[in-house]
Amino acid sequence: MFEKILFATTGSPGCDSAARVAFDMARQYGSKLTLFHVLGIPGKGDSNVVIDIRSGEEVDVDAEYIEGVAEELRTTYAKQLEGLSGVELEVAVGVPSREVLRIARAKDVDMIVLCGPAEGQEAGFYKRGVVGDTLRKVAKAARCPVLTVSRPSASFWGGFSNIVFATDFSKASESAFQFAKTVAQAVDGELHLFNCVDLSRFQSAIALTQDGIEAKLAEARRRLHHEYALQLGDFKRFTSEVWEGTPYVEIVKFARERQADLIVLAHHARDVDPDERPFGSTLEQVIVRASCPVVSVNRPDKLPQAAEA
Amino acid sequence: MPEGIFCNKRPINTEEELKALLSDTRGTKYYEEMLSLEVDREKLWATIQKTCKSRTQTWLDVCARCGLCADSCFLYLVNDCKPEQVPSYKIQSTLGEMVRRKGDVDNEFMRHAMEVAWSQCTCCNRCAMYCPHGIDMGVMMGYTRGLLYSQGFVPWELKIGAGMHRVYRAQMDVTTEDWVETCVWMEEEQQDDWPGLEIPVDKEDADIMYTCNAREPKHYPEDLAEAAILFHIAGENWTVPSEGWEQTSLSMFAGDWEACKLQVENVYAAIDRLKPKRVIGTECGHAHRATVIEGPYWAGRPDGQPPAPYIHYVQWVAEALRTGKLKIDPAKRIKQTVTYQDSCNYIRNWGLAETAREILSYLVEPGYLVEMTPNKEHNYCCGGGGGFNGIGKFRPQRNKALLTKRDQILATGAKLVIAPCHNCWDAIRDLEEEYHIHIDWSFLKPLLIKMVIVPDHLKPQEEAGDEE
Repeated sequence: MFEKILFATTGSPGCDSAARVAFDMARQYGSKLTLFHVLGIPGKGDSNVVIDIRSGEEVDVDAEYIEGVAEELRTTYAKQLEGLSGVELEVAVGVPSREVLRIARAKDVDMIVLCGPAEGQEAGFYKRGVVGDTLRKVAKAARCPVLTVSRPSASFWGGFSNIVFATDFSKASESAFQFAKTVAQAVDGELHLFNCVDLSRFQSAIALTQDGIEAKLAEARRRLHHEYALQLGDFKRFTSEVWEGTPYVEIVKFARERQADLIVLAHHARDVDPDERPFGSTLEQVIVRASCPVVSVNRPDKLPQAAEA
Repeated sequence: MPEGIFCNKRPINTEEELKALLSDTRGTKYYEEMLSLEVDREKLWATIQKTCKSRTQTWLDVCARCGLCADSCFLYLVNDCKPEQVPSYKIQSTLGEMVRRKGDVDNEFMRHAMEVAWSQCTCCNRCAMYCPHGIDMGVMMGYTRGLLYSQGFVPWELKIGAGMHRVYRAQMDVTTEDWVETCVWMEEEQQDDWPGLEIPVDKEDADIMYTCNAREPKHYPEDLAEAAILFHIAGENWTVPSEGWEQTSLSMFAGDWEACKLQVENVYAAIDRLKPKRVIGTECGHAHRATVIEGPYWAGRPDGQPPAPYIHYVQWVAEALRTGKLKIDPAKRIKQTVTYQDSCNYIRNWGLAETAREILSYLVEPGYLVEMTPNKEHNYCCGGGGGFNGIGKFRPQRNKALLTKRDQILATGAKLVIAPCHNCWDAIRDLEEEYHIHIDWSFLKPLLIKMVIVPDHLKPQEEAGDEE
């Protein structure tokens, strides 16, 4: 289902959960896996010095340093690499989000696997929001699905059985739906269509009445049915549900209730300024909180083909 | 040892030589070899006789050592007013000595001259504004760098930088294929948000040919995307050349005159090939100096002009705002204390101080712009100009040099510095990392994109729901 997977890792323990998923997927789907690491951010004017992304220290990126980092990665993932052939190890210097997008494009991958923002990371560039920034930018711009795993409990990948597709009825959500549908059909799992009427948007002087909320719920149910359920054809193992509240909270609650093992949604916010959206979008909040992997799909370009599953 | 493996008088002309030099981490071996690099005195004197023209000779002769230039130099001020940092002393004790001694100088002298040329002068040309004779030490130091380079006495990073221009015609290893691919990539990445946006490559007879800084495609390709977005909103008929897109010249910082010529000829060839009505360069100060101000002379153009009118990015922005091609949403104007960094190369060398202020009048709510003191033509160098930013060997001196800009910024109380020059942007970023004064810094492009009114017909046809 996924021929080429790119696993972008910092190599830190914060990436362990994502690593487990990435390697498991590569095994399960016979995918070609690229293990990718960004060494550091070009720094200090136009010198050859870069800022090591883990330590925040200045380093000279020469052959010896690159080999040292590569060796460390091989050691870190030694167990996962056992018996897995054709894993490519690539390293680059640059801004992480940009380099992840660059290699994903160059290798024409079908899926990018990223680590979630780990808790308690204080050192160096983590403190300055590089990780959150990476997620945000990669999820927005990638042509292929982006899978993120941030909590240890989210690293189970025993094959999907319960997939939550959360939609805001946007155009990007259509691609996310096609992905969710294809995977659900391929694994013969259950698909839960979900929408949350965003009440956090209605904190205005004109409070929404209960009747107003219920009208919106009814409208959302109708749209779920017309825009998605009808596309499922013979596939009957689906449910359809609309809740109200703050979308990320409700998505996570719903996924937990359904014991979902995958959440699929789109990330298409135009405004990615972290100052204006402090740890912003629904997607990012869901990633941090969900107990299962979260896939962001914005575009139709690289959707998996069910027939190949 | 007359010449070393890495440190020698030969320029880098092949990728192999470049990689070999790069593999010498921090130039350790390079600088070791420099200790015993022989000076070719005859060649040095011959070069001086051939290239030290009347203006420079007159300047050297008429300099009265009056010291009135001293206070004009931020490096003099920041280094406790040491006499060795007086601009006239710096040039007389290096170039002046070389000329007076008819090139009869030794290795130790040349290494000292290298240190002066690259760590005690950023070629910011501020001293020229205060010299009663109009002597420009910055220009002379640029010339001195050329003499030093020709003898192999050049900082390791800048020998690499000049080599990059010789091998790739860019300051970084960005090939033509890499560049064109980046244009396609950025076009593709932006099309969801900006339907119809294009980055046309090699379009002939366009109104604008756009050139940039190799750091953009290499590490920050969104800068190219931002330029494309603003041209798109402004409705410009524009293009980028597949060859000749790189406007910067680290070879100018290095004093590699031949590479300067090769580099600028590559850009001019693109202008001749595509015949744009005019050319616009990115937000880079030295790129503008290299390609527009000095470049015509390197290329031997008799009129001293590039093949087509060539303007700096702030000129295009001011014009676009003035003519209404770009309209700023008044509600989005900057309403926090902000200051502006005047880049030496397009303020003092190209006269854009007022043009920059015109832009600020559109972007910043009245009362929120606090100027640095001094400012405009009198502003100090960011502290990292002339290649200073990139030289590891002189990092401590560079970090100290940043203090002037740090204090200027702190005195404004601004939390945001607008810096439409790559080099200034880098220096301000570095001073924040070094001294933690809690400021932000920005190019013009991202600020404009945040504030500009997007015509309805250019907006994506977004559906109703958007809960992100």
